[in-house]
Amino acid sequence: MKNTHLYILPIFYMVLYTMAILVSGVLLFLLSQGLGEESVAMTLSNIIHSPVTKSIYGLVEVATPHLASMGMIIFLVAHFLLFSTNFSKRFSKKISIVLFGVAFANIFSYFLISFEIFASGWVKLCMMGTFVLLFVFVLLLVLFSLFSSHSKETRPSKFP
Amino acid sequence: MKFVISKDIEHSKLLNTLMIGVSAALFFYLVFDLILHGFIIGSDISTISTTLYGNAEEFIEPILLDALLLQVHIDLFISLFTLMILATIYIRLFSEEKMTKWFVHLLFIFGLLAPMMLFAAYMANIFFAYIWIFTLLFGHLLAIFFVLRIVKRLITL
Repeated sequence: MKNTHLYILPIFYMVLYTMAILVSGVLLFLLSQGLGEESVAMTLSNIIHSPVTKSIYGLVEVATPHLASMGMIIFLVAHFLLFSTNFSKRFSKKISIVLFGVAFANIFSYFLISFEIFASGWVKLCMMGTFVLLFVFVLLLVLFSLFSSHSKETRPSKFP
Repeated sequence: MKFVISKDIEHSKLLNTLMIGVSAALFFYLVFDLILHGFIIGSDISTISTTLYGNAEEFIEPILLDALLLQVHIDLFISLFTLMILATIYIRLFSEEKMTKWFVHLLFIFGLLAPMMLFAAYMANIFFAYIWIFTLLFGHLLAIFFVLRIVKRLITL
């Protein structure tokens, strides 16, 4: 097996695809809260003051595919930190655990609104914002590791 | 990905069998995905136009923005995993060929452009629908080409 540096290509495109998935996911959520009829600022205000009422069926219908897909995609992205020599294993482990935790909190936060534990939708907005920012940060870490190892020409030994 | 590129199992018969299996599954997925998109969005430019913009004469409503965006969201997710698996196996088997790099670039670019062009066609105009047809069709054909080459190489190993 030669030319292992070619494996950089799928990892690089994985980062682009994941960014596109995040953007389309956030847009879908905002559309479900009325973005089509109102501006972004107004939609965010509506989510905080009077979030759209969702049935338990609706929440489970959204949560179920996201639990599987978000778990898989976080695993896929974060496992590339295993190959990184720029960041310690301890740091990678901590950030992966936090990312999984925030992803679960993001998925389940709307249940808190539906069960009337929170009247405001700020909890969902905070969780979604934190998740997106943290995921983008992890993606940037993967990109940084990818290109720094590439430029040092240590690429074949990066892979087991 | 780690398992596919590990040198410890470079000559594993089981891994070869598994790679043939996943390639066969992806071959059928790619064919059926094309057919499914034909059913959901349309198989020619007039039906695609009706799906995206509706038809006032026949009282057909256009597809809802959130329904289309959900399709784009799902397509991106499935494409990511499908193409990652295919590209990783292809690089493992054909890394010494000069064209491999460009084939992998093309595969991922077509895979990313197709859902984006569908969204652009809905938001802007029908011109992007032509690009969507081109990228979807050639992206899938290139992926099928990857599958066929992978299976041929693995069978002859």
